[in-house]
Amino acid sequence: MVPSDPAAWDRLGLILMAFGDPGLAYAAFTEGQVLAPLALDIALHGVEAATSTGTLLGELARLDARCTNDPLNPAAHTARGVVLERLGHHAAAIDALEVASALAPDAPLPTILLGGVLARCNRLNEAEAALRQARGLDPENPRIANDLAAVLMRLHRHGEARAILLDLVAGSRDAASVLCNLATATACQGLQAEAVDLADEAITIEPDSVLPWRTLCNALPYLDGSSGERLLAASRACAQRLSRETLPALSNTPNPDRRLTVGLLSGSLRSHPVGWLTVAGFETLDPDAFRLVCLARDAGPADPIASRFRAIARDWIDADALGDGALAQRAREAGVDVLIDLGGYGDAGRMPACAHRLAPVQIKWVGMQNHSTGLPEMDWFLTDRWETPAELEHLYSERLLRLPDGYVCYSPPSYAPEVASLPALANGFVTFGCFNNLAKITPRVVQVWARILARVPGARLILKTHQFSDPDTAAWMLNAFTRQGVDPGRIALRGASRHRAFMAEYNDIDIALDPFPYSSGLTTCEALWMGVPTLVHAGEIFAARHSLSHMCNAGLADWTADGASDYEFLAVAKASDIGALAELRAGLRARVKASPLTDAPRFGANLGAAIRFAWRAWCRERQSDIPDQSTR
Amino acid sequence: MDMVHATADPLALVRRVGALIDAGRCGAAGPLLAAARQLIAPSPELSQLAARLAEGQGTLDLARAELDAAIEAVPDHIELRKQRASLCQRMGDLDRAARDAAEAVILDGSDPEAKALLGGAMLSLGRARDAVVCLSEACSIAPANASFREALAIATEANSDPDGALAILRSGLSAEGGALNLRNAAILFCIRHRRYSLAVALAEEGRVAGTVDACLFGLKGHAESSLGQHAAAADSYAEALKLGPHDPYVRHLVASSGLLPGAGRAPPDYLRAVFDGYADRFDDHLIALGYQIPGAIRRVVTDYLGSTSGGRRGPILDLGCGTGLVGVAIADLPIGALTGVDVSSRMLAEAAAKGLYETLEEADILAWLTKEVGSWDLILAADVVCYFGTLEPLLRAVRARLAPNGWFAFSVEEHLPEAGGALPDGPGWALHRQGRYAHTQAYLTETVRAAGFSAREMRQQVIRHEGGAPVPGILMVVEPAASVH
Repeated sequence: MVPSDPAAWDRLGLILMAFGDPGLAYAAFTEGQVLAPLALDIALHGVEAATSTGTLLGELARLDARCTNDPLNPAAHTARGVVLERLGHHAAAIDALEVASALAPDAPLPTILLGGVLARCNRLNEAEAALRQARGLDPENPRIANDLAAVLMRLHRHGEARAILLDLVAGSRDAASVLCNLATATACQGLQAEAVDLADEAITIEPDSVLPWRTLCNALPYLDGSSGERLLAASRACAQRLSRETLPALSNTPNPDRRLTVGLLSGSLRSHPVGWLTVAGFETLDPDAFRLVCLARDAGPADPIASRFRAIARDWIDADALGDGALAQRAREAGVDVLIDLGGYGDAGRMPACAHRLAPVQIKWVGMQNHSTGLPEMDWFLTDRWETPAELEHLYSERLLRLPDGYVCYSPPSYAPEVASLPALANGFVTFGCFNNLAKITPRVVQVWARILARVPGARLILKTHQFSDPDTAAWMLNAFTRQGVDPGRIALRGASRHRAFMAEYNDIDIALDPFPYSSGLTTCEALWMGVPTLVHAGEIFAARHSLSHMCNAGLADWTADGASDYEFLAVAKASDIGALAELRAGLRARVKASPLTDAPRFGANLGAAIRFAWRAWCRERQSDIPDQSTR
Repeated sequence: MDMVHATADPLALVRRVGALIDAGRCGAAGPLLAAARQLIAPSPELSQLAARLAEGQGTLDLARAELDAAIEAVPDHIELRKQRASLCQRMGDLDRAARDAAEAVILDGSDPEAKALLGGAMLSLGRARDAVVCLSEACSIAPANASFREALAIATEANSDPDGALAILRSGLSAEGGALNLRNAAILFCIRHRRYSLAVALAEEGRVAGTVDACLFGLKGHAESSLGQHAAAADSYAEALKLGPHDPYVRHLVASSGLLPGAGRAPPDYLRAVFDGYADRFDDHLIALGYQIPGAIRRVVTDYLGSTSGGRRGPILDLGCGTGLVGVAIADLPIGALTGVDVSSRMLAEAAAKGLYETLEEADILAWLTKEVGSWDLILAADVVCYFGTLEPLLRAVRARLAPNGWFAFSVEEHLPEAGGALPDGPGWALHRQGRYAHTQAYLTETVRAAGFSAREMRQQVIRHEGGAPVPGILMVVEPAASVH
């Protein structure tokens, strides 16, 4: 070995790492960095070694000094950014990587790493810019393309994402992760059957991995004709593939009446369906009976719903900074008695952590709550009598906690526009509308809506979703209606807008049409708040019954149809009575305001009772000698 | 090996630093500025960035040093002058701020920011008329700038033209629509001038336009409550709380509307916010309301002086002194040194201007009493105990600071079951809608005794008039109980 050759020190370090001596390896990498301060790979290898030896804080101090003494060294700034992220200092990590990327605009790696941290921190527009810059520097790199597509999907730009992924798949179909991303993008473009096929293909490539199964669980609820049994089987298969570490036993005191620590596990405690539908319930939980701990990503000071969660949380654990086992361990240390999962198998969900069991009692609630989790460690499922009637109970792996009213409480935004009078009065024709994600609009939904339009002369249909900001997607949807014989002049497709403007567009709608099988949740609540009732066609799985629950909870059970032909019939009947529609609309906001759907104190009391019920059941079972809940 | 070199264009780096500082990302701007300084020679632009960065990081002295050095090198640089004027204004060096702003105006008479800075400095120096001239010019050059307009309104009000001030704020609203700060300033202005209906109308206009702001809803509730529209006020406060769940001001108002369990006292931050906002017009406001307590306090002080053989001249403590109305009421009596304590700095500035107090302390009264060690012959608390529900801690703290033969005189608002509703078995006090507490006679009697006082006087007294109706109150004078040492 030549002692003045930095590459030799690097190789030596790698060998030492391979032989399990990260301490010595770290010394070798440090030596290499002294000889080649600008060598990025050696700097990053040093970070790996410091991670293995648990000396990241020391490494950070060393890199701080290097960056101060040599401010023009992109390698040092890059390594510092990686260390900061591993220590959970996300904003500082982004700053450091931004510095590295700005100093070395021609080097792809600092910018790729920057894009990755930005994406993980939900700073998606900045992530896109960084990943596009990186892609420009390294156009053939499939990882950058896949990461970029994932960010675009989270920005609701599924058409662009799908194009990138189709290119990747055209080159090679052997990467399950690419197929999974493609499946998700495909579902969101309204191609539900193709999406399920892609997820199945990914499963054949990697049958034992979680990701393909998770993708299938998220695609199936959108597929027309998907049965509850098939979905439950898929979620059980997914749950079975989650890893489980042996953790120290739970130490919660099984006192049925004591104050409980309730953990909220979610990546979406912000202006998001999870936030709008749960925050009022948590705010009104009795603080003397329940202490709330958020195990969540903090959406930052600008988000008004996030600040409401911060105001009620007695503790906030940054879940993103912890791996699944570590998160479960941290929750146990925090004494969480009852864990409420608000993420499911979604992108930001932490179902794998739930498999390690964070608390003796685990409850699934809103947040990719499309159906049963199939997870043996998920003890309870929060629902109501409309979502889960007795005849559908067998489709759930969890025990059911049925709330006496609806299973959510809607918190309307203060900036919601005033309700306008019924548009049909001025228009002279009825306007149907659906402001749901394109993923929910199946070919059969298009068929049924086309038949309704045929039976209600002059009626129009307004569809609004972010996907229609893309002209190609909008043209494709319009074509789908034309193929059903609908005059394209009767269909208006509208793209994304800000939330207030989005709500204001309900002032153009007389009747909202619920899609099926995946029903609308928050969207139905928002429509109600804007004076627009939703016509419901409920199905079997949980996600197929959201609107049924919200409409019944608001006292509008007469808007729920029994099957597709009844849905058609009811649409025609409701559209023919303009006077009744106008009257309903005029009083609807006040009616919703007075209903359990928005009655937060009432909901909070019921939620508290449900949590207490689940807790007491655990205390009882614990006493009747269930040896160790952590292995249940 | 993967070697990465710094290949960035230095000028691009400088632009990036500016953008990062604008975005509040000092953590990225700092290292990049250090890198840029290695690549290019010193310049006013780099100094400006360094000063902005230092200001962003809260190291104002460092920012000042950067700018001092840069101006010494390039004295005629208008941006440097403006930046230092703004910084000095922030640091309280008003003369320097005025000189730099004037220098900037000389360098470019058409620069609206320079004129606005000069106007701001003039206002701080008490030269309201000059401030109005400068800020008017700034606004006419840049009519869309909301902060210039808000400053002009403040200067116009200070120049004794409240109607003109309101007109300036409102004309900005019609031009801007969404200028939130301007709207809130206009609403607050209306509340301070008791034009509650207009305040509600302006707030409602903002709500309908989709404004999402806790302050707007809080002010709306305040105005509605003042108009007796309590249900509407409760709705407004509830919205305000959703938008500002951490804001103690909002929380207290919501508690006062009965939506949240009430706390045992009003938070000091709430009092600071309310009274800082009220300071300029506080005296007029209370006099207009028929505020009667200072007169009653004067009578108590006269009695006290008469009761002491030889007329002792012990020190007097005025808790919650506000703008110094009690000082005005008793200043001509043969009293000892007067100390005032209040949570609002702007109120204290008004009190200081009256020149009647030996010492003025900016503090929460309970916190101050708890850490104080002095002893007072006479402690007065006019219209401040009404911001406490639970009185035990306050009375204990006063007891500890009262001389053995001293008196404590204080006013409270009285909770009358027939007017305010019967209280459940409870604390003997209630939080009323305007954010003040009212107490029952029975509670006062018991708490005073438990704190080691005996009552000399407990007199029902009208505190002031609100909406034409008298607000019932109690003036209480107590002294240390004989058996307590």
